[in-house]
Amino acid sequence: MAHSKTRDDVFEVVRKNILEVLPDLSPGMVSIDKSMSDLGANSVDRMEVVTQSMEDLDLKIPLMSFAAVTNIEGLVGVLFENLR
Amino acid sequence: MSGRPVQITGMGIVSSIGHDIASFGQSLAEGRSGIKRLDWQTTPVPPVAVGAPIADFDIEAALGSDAKLALRMARRAPFTVQTSIVAATQAWRQAQAGEIAAERIALVVAGNNTTQNYQYSLQAAFRQNPEYLSPRYALQFMDTNLIGALSETFGIKGEGFTVGGASASGNVGIIQGMRLIQAGLADACLVVGVAADLSPMEIQAFYSVGAMGGRRFHDQPEKACRPFDAAHEGFIYGQAAACVVLEAAGIRKISSLATVMGGTTALHATASSDPSIEGEARAMRGALRQAGIDALEVDYVNTHGSSSPLGDKVEIEAIEQVFSERFPQVWLNATKGLTGHCLNSAGVVELIACVVQMQHGFIHPNMNLETPINARARFCGGQAVRTQLRTALSNSFGFGGINTSIVLRK
Repeated sequence: MAHSKTRDDVFEVVRKNILEVLPDLSPGMVSIDKSMSDLGANSVDRMEVVTQSMEDLDLKIPLMSFAAVTNIEGLVGVLFENLR
Repeated sequence: MSGRPVQITGMGIVSSIGHDIASFGQSLAEGRSGIKRLDWQTTPVPPVAVGAPIADFDIEAALGSDAKLALRMARRAPFTVQTSIVAATQAWRQAQAGEIAAERIALVVAGNNTTQNYQYSLQAAFRQNPEYLSPRYALQFMDTNLIGALSETFGIKGEGFTVGGASASGNVGIIQGMRLIQAGLADACLVVGVAADLSPMEIQAFYSVGAMGGRRFHDQPEKACRPFDAAHEGFIYGQAAACVVLEAAGIRKISSLATVMGGTTALHATASSDPSIEGEARAMRGALRQAGIDALEVDYVNTHGSSSPLGDKVEIEAIEQVFSERFPQVWLNATKGLTGHCLNSAGVVELIACVVQMQHGFIHPNMNLETPINARARFCGGQAVRTQLRTALSNSFGFGGINTSIVLRK
């Protein structure tokens, strides 16, 4: 399916959801090389960011696909790959 | 009184008639009711549009910006958790409970089925896209989520659990907290009554079973709740989160608001909603016996008084039996006339109402009492009565034959 979203657009979606789940963070703290754990997210927070991002991007990906993800960049990558 | 004396050292409330103890007490004294016409936003629209909701609740304003941990805990939590955290924060601060060793503080959450409306509100979206259900639901659908959220907020590390007793849950929670302290298992206990958050299904069922009023006076909501009046026709749904800190006397310097002298739960062996004179009388007598207090010493009974025709009739007969010749002298009122029936938390709300009335020396009005169903009973009328109260009894009764009574002394 054709879409016009770039990798940066996907990062913005993820960043928005991280800030929503962890409202004490300032936007500048969420950079693509960090992991959500570094930012203080627990396991439930992380899964909530994944689920909300899938919903925002209209994606349904098996959660197994995220098993190897270690940082925000990896998460953005899996989401972006599945957009195509 | 068995075991160590148990005092109340902190109280907090978020209700339809006040979002703190001071405003709640003011509403009691002035007879200001929280019952009004409801503007349902749910589908289907419930058959009753009269109730006493918690209105204008703002978690950030309620907690203040210095309560960072409480805020973080509450911000993404369901309404019932948010309001519980606010009521508990008020009680915790008043009791200065942070002075007590974390391992010696217990946590009792009073109420079962606290997530009904939260679950209901997610169902339509879930049917469309189950994948997008918030993973947080795995924690938040459970009543015990409140144990986690409250214990993390306050750093409580003693025993913790939820208790249920239908409409008597609040009293059951207070009784369990009292016992933990009496038995020496804790020095203090936070007892939190959870605000009811009913979905349209529970409202429909309470209406269909004939328990819920709001029919005859649907266009005059202020008249719909009338405990012990001949025109009563069922309970009116109310919301309140309420919290008390119970504490063993003498472990530190802190002023006691009142002493919990005793409390009893007595079943009358039924799966029905029917009340029982014998069961209610047995609960009241049991609480008095445990407190070592004679019925002649009781100044005031905060009745269960839900505005249910059968419930009110049975309760007044039970009170008449317990107090016999003293009956015409005992002051009576029903807090539910002002707050609606707060279900899970009603017992905690009404314990707080007892303490406030004892502290300030008054009996709050019994709303809409035009034709009392018992002519000998000493009900408060439409205006508060100034009088000193030393000893009070607080009743709560629930479906399933659950009868509870608590004795309080100033």
